[in-house]
Amino acid sequence: MGLLERQFEENVLTTKVDWLLNWCRMSSIWPMTFGLACCAIEMMAVGCAHHDIDRFGAGAFRASPRQSDLMIVAGTVNFKMAERIKRLYDQMPGPKYVIAMGACATGGGPYYKYGYTVVKGVDRVVPVDVYVAGCPPRPEALLEGLMKLQQKIQQSSVVRRPARTA
Amino acid sequence: MEFRGILDRLRAIGAPGLLGHDEPRGADPADKKDKGRAGDPFVLVDPQRLPAFLEVCRDDERLAFDILIDLTAADPSKDDPNLWVLVHLLSLAYRQRLTVKCALSKAAATMPTSVTVHRGAQWHERECGEMFGITFAGHPDPRHILLPEDWLGFPLRKDYVFPDEYHGISCK
Repeated sequence: MGLLERQFEENVLTTKVDWLLNWCRMSSIWPMTFGLACCAIEMMAVGCAHHDIDRFGAGAFRASPRQSDLMIVAGTVNFKMAERIKRLYDQMPGPKYVIAMGACATGGGPYYKYGYTVVKGVDRVVPVDVYVAGCPPRPEALLEGLMKLQQKIQQSSVVRRPARTA
Repeated sequence: MEFRGILDRLRAIGAPGLLGHDEPRGADPADKKDKGRAGDPFVLVDPQRLPAFLEVCRDDERLAFDILIDLTAADPSKDDPNLWVLVHLLSLAYRQRLTVKCALSKAAATMPTSVTVHRGAQWHERECGEMFGITFAGHPDPRHILLPEDWLGFPLRKDYVFPDEYHGISCK
């Protein structure tokens, strides 16, 4: 930690603001309760005791978009639903993240060719941070996706340096 | 009653709109191209008189087809000028079933609603309406049931053209 280390009494921790804020964010990702198809069953398994998404601080499934940070799009998105998803995403407060779970949410999945009402990937409606492959993905895969998202959050920078004036 | 008994009864009471019938059969050994026909026996009915037919089936004391199991449609081929409208009936009193088939012209896909006889036909007819473009005259609530209200075209028709985009979301 450099110059400031061991300059204070015990119980004082020195760190970067960025690191602290990112650590707060990645350790309390509250997902939104919202499942669209069979992937939601796997998402429920992730929330239950065996896989236990609470280990990552992401077990507080919120029933309102205004209280959630993460939208797990678990299932087939059709056009009728896509507009609702867009609206829910717009209602979430930032910083907000989206996981596209499974083949359907990633790219239309088995409905790619003949699914006349299926959106071919939820990234055509909302920006996606992590894609989880599988049909449906196993709970471990979703947890891996969550860990990838945590890595992504760790790399983000919250504090901006003031612009240099020439 | 078996199918033949039901058919005889329908003829005896002069069921309106009854045009014919068909039954499954094995392949003809003399004709190698003939594969026979699988599936259920059905009666063929004039679509314009289907509600009257269903009413007779429901009210006759020997038939008593009081439950409409399903009302659906099918588009057999691009070249076929007709759609099939299919009705499955069940009689709880006699434990018997009946399949009703109607040939409805694609060019003028309009037929009277069966809601007057079976109120449960409402959702089935709404689905047939949006998927096959059949107009059920006299339906009390002819909105779409599954598709968005502004959807163009009838997806389960064989000549359906897939949309390029919907509300700015690309379909390609």
